[in-house]
This record gives sequence, structure tokens and C-alpha cells, in this order.
Amino acid sequence: MSFCETQQARIAPLWDRMLTHPFLLQTRDGTIPHATFASWMRQDYLFVEAAIPFLAALIPKGPASHWEPMTQAIGALIRELRLFEERADAVGVEIRGSQPSFTTHAYIQFLLATAQNASYEEAYTVLYAAESAYHDSWKMVRDGLDRSSPWWPFVENWAGPQFAAYVSYLEVELDKLAAEAGPDRLHRMVEAFETTVRYEVAFWEMAMTGEGWPGIPSADPALSIGREGKR
Amino acid sequence: MSFTDELYESAIDLWDAQAAHPFVRGIADGTLDPAVFERWVRQDYLYLAEFSRVFAWAAARADRLESMGWYAAALHLTLNTEMGLHREYAARFGISVSDLERETMWPTTRAYTDFLVRTAADGDLADLVAALLPCAWGYVHIAQKIAAADRPADQRYADWIEQYSSDEFWLAAEWLRSEMDRLADGASPAKRDRLRHLFVLSSRYEWQFWEMCWNGEAWLP
Repeated sequence: MSFCETQQARIAPLWDRMLTHPFLLQTRDGTIPHATFASWMRQDYLFVEAAIPFLAALIPKGPASHWEPMTQAIGALIRELRLFEERADAVGVEIRGSQPSFTTHAYIQFLLATAQNASYEEAYTVLYAAESAYHDSWKMVRDGLDRSSPWWPFVENWAGPQFAAYVSYLEVELDKLAAEAGPDRLHRMVEAFETTVRYEVAFWEMAMTGEGWPGIPSADPALSIGREGKR
Repeated sequence: MSFTDELYESAIDLWDAQAAHPFVRGIADGTLDPAVFERWVRQDYLYLAEFSRVFAWAAARADRLESMGWYAAALHLTLNTEMGLHREYAARFGISVSDLERETMWPTTRAYTDFLVRTAADGDLADLVAALLPCAWGYVHIAQKIAAADRPADQRYADWIEQYSSDEFWLAAEWLRSEMDRLADGASPAKRDRLRHLFVLSSRYEWQFWEMCWNGEAWLP
């Protein structure tokens, strides 16, 4: 089995938990409350924004053959931001200027710390795991969601043929990287894969529960001064 | 008022909440369940490895030789002295070094350390120090408050208080404060806001770390 197949098999219960999360099931069935979906849109918009510097930080670390696909992936993220903005306008959601929940913040820090501090192979594992998780999640939603739903364009984006081809490409490239990795690096790649999927599950959970930050609500200046390191 | 005094004021609710936290109070009066304290030993060991890494980033980023030397000394203090003490603590709780190293980060430890490493990598030296300060200064601040009262009967907690209220840790925290004040001197209002943001965020994580140890924590199954 390839590295990606092995990882999918290893964390199959976690993957199933993700695909059967109430957020996805209710989105598929058209019963998700508008406010819950809007909350997810705001948080995922922040995440997509942060994925741009994540990918950009990987470019100088990767082989030259990855530079152009990585640049195209950044272009795709920018189009995703436009998709969020267009959908938000269409359904009357204010998407800009939101503050990250704890899970969004933590997941973003994980992405950016991995890009800066971990090997290219680990960061590429995170990229594949996250994109693959989204592809499978939205394919599940596609199987039941009415095409007239205001959320259908998200299905088209992540469950569509273009995204499927991108995920397949990442899988092939990640398997090549894994084949060249030594045992220590491979072990870290395995950990990175699992942590990413745990964050994916936590992200749906956060969207469903409307989680903010744990703790002391009165001491919130940190969360009111700019969100993700705008300098 | 110095800039670090302003930082303290902006996070005072979080700092007070830490000093009053049942975990901290349990160390102070010696009533903390050792099984609960073990969580801190295990998770803080993982935290310190990343905290050390951030000091290494600081040494590399330093804009003058004196600072470079201090960051290198702080790295040594954390990586060798403090982590060595953790290994000794762990032994007193029956936890081996290999157990410590096999430990998995809980979500709060993961998030906090990723935040520090990411800030060290993406930000400038002032950003990095603002994010580090709530741990380096906060522990001394808390330990000195506790140390004013009688030591608990449990020697393991008495040693914890002794260590973090020691001159060595106090001097390191004081130097880091003066470094923060130096780096913030002349900074634009927007930059000072950003530094305050990072300081408060780390202070929040510090409080969350006590919460994590007190309650236990796990990733979603």
C-alpha cells in the first residue's frame, strides 16, 4: 500500500467520524441552521486566508517541479476567498472582520508553525490531509444536497473534478516524498497526518457548537485587535 | 509607565485568574493531587522543548551581541536547567525520561507551542519577546506571590516554588522585560497594539494551560 493509503487505513475511524459529523449530515440534508452555516463560513474564510502564507512558505522548501502547482494552488485559494465573499453577499452574511475561534486559531498556528519549523515532507502531508479531508467531506454532502441550495457552490468547489484532480496530484507527490523519507521523518509525517485530521474533525465540531475561546470573557483585548498577524 | 507595565495592565484579569487558579493554589498550600500535578510535568516538558526552540530563534534574530548572549543563556536555562529539573520531578512521580518523551501534546499545548513557534518564525524580535514574556515573567510572578507565604509540607511543591521564585529565574524575567521595553521604544502605535495582542494571547494560553492541567484534556475521539 502507498503511504497515503496506509494513513487512510490507519485513521479510518477518525475519517469516518469526520464524514458522519452532524455539520456535514445536516448540510447534506438541507437542515443545517443558517446561523450555524454562517458561523462556519466566517471561520473557514479566516482559515483559507491563512492557507495562503502556508503554501507560500512551502515553495522555497520544495522541489522546483512543485513550484508551479503550488502557485496555482494559491490562485485557487484566492478564488475560494472570492467564492466565500460572493456567497456571503448572496445570503446576507457579514464575513469580513471576524475573530478566530480557539480551534481556528490553533489550526492556523499548526499550519504556519509546520510550514516554518517542520520538514517539507511533513508540511506537504498536512496539505494533502487537509485537502483530501475537504474533498471527501464535500463529496459526502454532494450526495444529498439539493442543487438549488445556497451552499451548492461550495460542493462544486471542493467536490468538483478540478479539486479531485488536485487532490490526486497531491497524493501522487506525497507518496513519492514518503518513499524517499527515512524512518524518523516518516514517523513525523504519520503524526502530521493524524493531527491534521483531528483538527478537521475539531473544525466541524467548532462550527456546529459555535465555540469561541475558553475562559475569561472580560479579558478579550487580544481578540479585538486584529486577527491573524496583520502588521 | 514602562511598556511592560502597560502589557501587564492589559492582561491583568488573566494574570489574576492564574494566581487564583485552583491548580496554582493547590501548589501553594500543598493540597494539589499529585496525579493532577503529573499532567503539568508531562505537558510542560513538551512545552519547554518548543519554548527552548523559540529562544534559539531569538538568539538568531538578536540585533546586538548582548541580547544574543542573553537569549543563549535563557536557552541554556530552559533546555538544560529547567528541563533537567522536570526530569528529576518526573522521577519523583515515577515517570521515566522515555515516558516523558513519548507523551503526546494535548490540544492546548499543541496550540500554544505552535503559536509561539509560528510567531518566532514569522514575526520580528519584538513580536517574539512579547509572545514569550507571559511564560517567563508569569511563572516568576506567580511563584513569588506564593513564596511570600509558608512553604507547603509536600517537598515536591516546595521545590517548585523555590525554583520559579529563585534569583536566577527572576533575573532572566527582569532582563526579558527590559528587552521588551527596549524593543518597544519608539515603536508605532500599531506596532505596540500588535505586541499587546501577542502578550495577551500568550497570557490567555498560560491560563488555559493551568486549566488543561487541572481538568485534563484530550483530542476529540
